[in-house]
Amino acid sequence: MINIDIGATAIAILTLFGIYSLMAISLNLEYGIAGVPNFGQALFVSIGAYTAGITYTRVLPLLAGLESVHPCGPTMGQALQLRSEIMAAQPLAGFINLGLTFLIAAIVSGAVGFAVSYVTLRLKEEWFLALVLLVGGETVRIVVRGADDFICSHNGISGVAQPFYFLRDPHSSSLLFMLLCLALALVAYVYSQRLAHSPYGRMLKGLRENEDVTRGLGKGISLARAQIMLIGSAIAAVGGVLFALNTGFVNTNDYVVNLTLDIWVMVVLGGIGNNRGALLGAALIAILDRFTQVGAIALNMSGSEIEFNYVRFIAFGLILLLMLRYRPTGLLPESRLTTNAHDVVRRAIGASNQPPTPSRHRDGGHPKHQGGGAMRET
Amino acid sequence: MLLELKHLRKDFGGLRAVDDVSLNVPEGAIIGLIGPNGSGKSTLINLIAGTIDLTAGQVIFAGEDISGLSADAVFHKGIARGYQEPTLYFKMTVLDNLLLPVKGQRGERPWYAPRWSTWQREERAHALAAMEVLRQVQLLPYYDTLASDLSGGQMKLLEIARALMGAPKLLLLDEPTAGVAPKLAYDIFRQIARLRDDHGITLLIVEHRLEILFDFVDYVYVMHLGNLLAGGSAAEISDHATVREVYFGD
Repeated sequence: MINIDIGATAIAILTLFGIYSLMAISLNLEYGIAGVPNFGQALFVSIGAYTAGITYTRVLPLLAGLESVHPCGPTMGQALQLRSEIMAAQPLAGFINLGLTFLIAAIVSGAVGFAVSYVTLRLKEEWFLALVLLVGGETVRIVVRGADDFICSHNGISGVAQPFYFLRDPHSSSLLFMLLCLALALVAYVYSQRLAHSPYGRMLKGLRENEDVTRGLGKGISLARAQIMLIGSAIAAVGGVLFALNTGFVNTNDYVVNLTLDIWVMVVLGGIGNNRGALLGAALIAILDRFTQVGAIALNMSGSEIEFNYVRFIAFGLILLLMLRYRPTGLLPESRLTTNAHDVVRRAIGASNQPPTPSRHRDGGHPKHQGGGAMRET
Repeated sequence: MLLELKHLRKDFGGLRAVDDVSLNVPEGAIIGLIGPNGSGKSTLINLIAGTIDLTAGQVIFAGEDISGLSADAVFHKGIARGYQEPTLYFKMTVLDNLLLPVKGQRGERPWYAPRWSTWQREERAHALAAMEVLRQVQLLPYYDTLASDLSGGQMKLLEIARALMGAPKLLLLDEPTAGVAPKLAYDIFRQIARLRDDHGITLLIVEHRLEILFDFVDYVYVMHLGNLLAGGSAAEISDHATVREVYFGD
């Protein structure tokens, strides 16, 4: 039997939930709302992680007023010790470095998402973008794995510490990191909700439903889709930074196509086009992830030769198939209302249907004129 | 002249769908465009709307050459269109269908979109304008209904109403009464006539129901095998021997 620390497990799951939420919200904005099939989500997450790998090894020492040490090769151990010492002794440098990492990752990832989609989405079939991103993600991964200059090729970079490492108490630092992840997920959720329930969100849904008609109604569809790819890619990269910080390790093997598939499962499971659905999907997958990890450890400790980690892939495949077959809209289907417009019309109709009352009609006006008055207000 | 087509040509591979078509649409007129199936009417509408590219010729709108402009640019010039099959946003409400084509919405820019206070006032004005349009086409009780839940005739009316929200100068309609019961078809044409009378919109209408169309149009063009066969008043076209031969088989 293995002992499970309930508190640590809850923190781990909630941390993962926050990180997955960012990834799922990102894909939901792109595909769920705008209909852009991003099959390269792992690419944008990896940009965040690789950025963290670079800033923690090159920028952090400079922020701490020290000389940076080449993180790869013979000086790998020395560099690891240096960043551990800085993260433990100079929290301010760690926080500034984290802020810079978020900023650089979001800008680079957003720019890549914008540029790739703006070029490819001008073509008739948006699925071309899906293929470009799928192949592009894998190409970038292979290039980074082979190049020593980024994250020490296939060795990766370890010791990418959480910003609260300086507390020296793993429980407290994990708890605060969890709160950071949840706070960023909340910001992304509120932002996405406001975006989805705006005229811009309505236009994106229009693009998703019928591209030709939307173009015929005067909307510049290439730009609109590239913009949502910029936003979605930036959010995914922030998720990627947190993902790297959570594992403490940046390695290209974590950003394979499987990660893209995981994020798709979250969105399809939760509800395509519904940000709350994206959160629900992220929560369920975070729990499933933890469950399979614990299951794998338990099986290994019992001496079983069964590789329980593979159960995860079987479960994800089954979830996708069952959802697409029985509930293609997901557990939480998309809400149909967009902006405040429906409330405005509802109130205007209600006002025009009000029965006459002495106070309202002192001037002898007809009740219908009340509605007209409301309309003239704007 | 609001719209002038000069020697328009469209080839699809080896097929010439529109061949040297020139016609004029005066401002404030309701112009019919008729012809047997495959005569190139819908292709002509697509060419004017910028949905497909021209092979040759010129489209002059309000004195400006708009040949080769994309569909969204053509819409911004003041040309809106309806489609043969209702092409609504079926998963959106009737009201959202109407609000989408409104031009220059601040809330459609991603910078402003999450900051609701920057566009909600404008959205309110658009919602009330849409409400008036819905009242005109008698769809106001359905403002909150999904477009997919409307009847065929209501869908046609919604499509016309939607085009109206873009404040067009010229509205291109492709068989606005296709698949609609005769009585409702008349109602639709009455609404179309009101677009001209109340809003000053010029209309170019492709239609097969000549008995209804001829009651409303000022002028009719006839197409056959990609060519412009004839043009004239409804009475002249009804009596045109060649038209009767190719169109009615007389």
